[in-house]
Amino acid sequence: MAAPSLRRSLRWLALPVVLVPLGWLLFTGLGTDPRVIPSPLVGKPMPAFAGATLEGGEFSSADLVGRPAVVNFWASYCIPSCVDEHPVLLDLAARHGDELQVVGVLVNDTPDDARGFLDRYGQVGWPNVLNLDGDISIDYGVIGPPETFFVDADGIVIARHVGPLTTDEVARQLAALGLTP
Amino acid sequence: MRRIALPVAVAALLALGALVVLELMRPSAAPTRAEQARLIAAELRCPDCQALSVAESQTAGAAAIRRQIVEQLAAGRTPEQVRAYFVARYGEWILLAPRSPLAWWVPPAAVLLGIGVFAWWLGRGRGAVAPTASPTGKARDRIRDEVEQLDA
Repeated sequence: MAAPSLRRSLRWLALPVVLVPLGWLLFTGLGTDPRVIPSPLVGKPMPAFAGATLEGGEFSSADLVGRPAVVNFWASYCIPSCVDEHPVLLDLAARHGDELQVVGVLVNDTPDDARGFLDRYGQVGWPNVLNLDGDISIDYGVIGPPETFFVDADGIVIARHVGPLTTDEVARQLAALGLTP
Repeated sequence: MRRIALPVAVAALLALGALVVLELMRPSAAPTRAEQARLIAAELRCPDCQALSVAESQTAGAAAIRRQIVEQLAAGRTPEQVRAYFVARYGEWILLAPRSPLAWWVPPAAVLLGIGVFAWWLGRGRGAVAPTASPTGKARDRIRDEVEQLDA
C-alpha cells in the first residue's frame, strides 16, 4: 500500500538525478575556453626538425638536447598577435637566453617578408627555421601563428600556447621548466 | 496467349531480380591512390581556415597536408594509418566527423528520452481521476430547486 508514496519519492529523486549532471555539464562547459585545442604532443618527445634558417645557417633540434627550449611558430602576416608577443620573446631571450634556447619557425611565410618584420619590430638573436614546405607545422599540429611550445631539458613537450605569448604565460611556463621567472 | 504471358512475366521478374542481386554483390573497383587521397583530404579539417576540409581549401596549410597524404599513400601507408598520423599531431580536432560512436548515438538517445519523459508527463494524470460520489437525496432536492429557480 506504500506504493504511491514510494512512487512520489522516486519521482522527486529522479529530478536531481537528471538535473545535477545537466547542471554540472553546463557549469563546466561554460568555464572552458572553446578556442583551446589540446595538443596530443604535450607529455611526448618534441618532433625532431632541421632546416635552413632565415639568418643563413642551419638548425637541428638535435642540438637542443639537455637544454629547455621555446619553439615559437610565427609569420610576418600574423598581425597584431605576432607583433604583440615579439617584445615578450625578446625579453625572455634577454633574461633567460643562457638557460634555454628560443627557436623561431616560420609558418607559410617568405624569407623577405619575415626579414622585413624583424627589421621593423626588432632583430632577434635566435635562429628562425624557414619551414618552406610546411612540414614542421604539420609535425607540431600548428593551426595558425602564433603558437609556442615549451620543451623541457629532456626534450619533452610540457605545454603548448596558442595565441600571443604574455609575460604571465612565460612566467608560468618558466616555473614549470624549473627556471626562476 | 494468357497461359504464356504469366510464366514469361514471372521469368522476366526473376531475371531482373537476379541482375539486381548480382549488381549489388559485384565487388566495387578498388579506389585509386588519387581517389584515396581525395577521400582522406575530405575527412580532414583545414587547419588554417574555417569550416572547410583540406580537400576544399586552397590555403598553404591545406596544400601541405594534401601533399603529405599523397606522399604517405605512395610510401605504402594505409588510409587509416594516414588519418592516424594527422590525429597524432593535431588531435581528434583534425577530423571533420568524430570517430567515437557515442557522438552519433547520444543525440538521438537524448531526443528519445525527452519524448519518453514528455509522454509520461502527459499521461501521468490519466487513470487517477477521483471517483465522483453520487449526490445524496438532500443534495438532489437542492439542485432541483436551484435549476427550477433558474428556469423561472
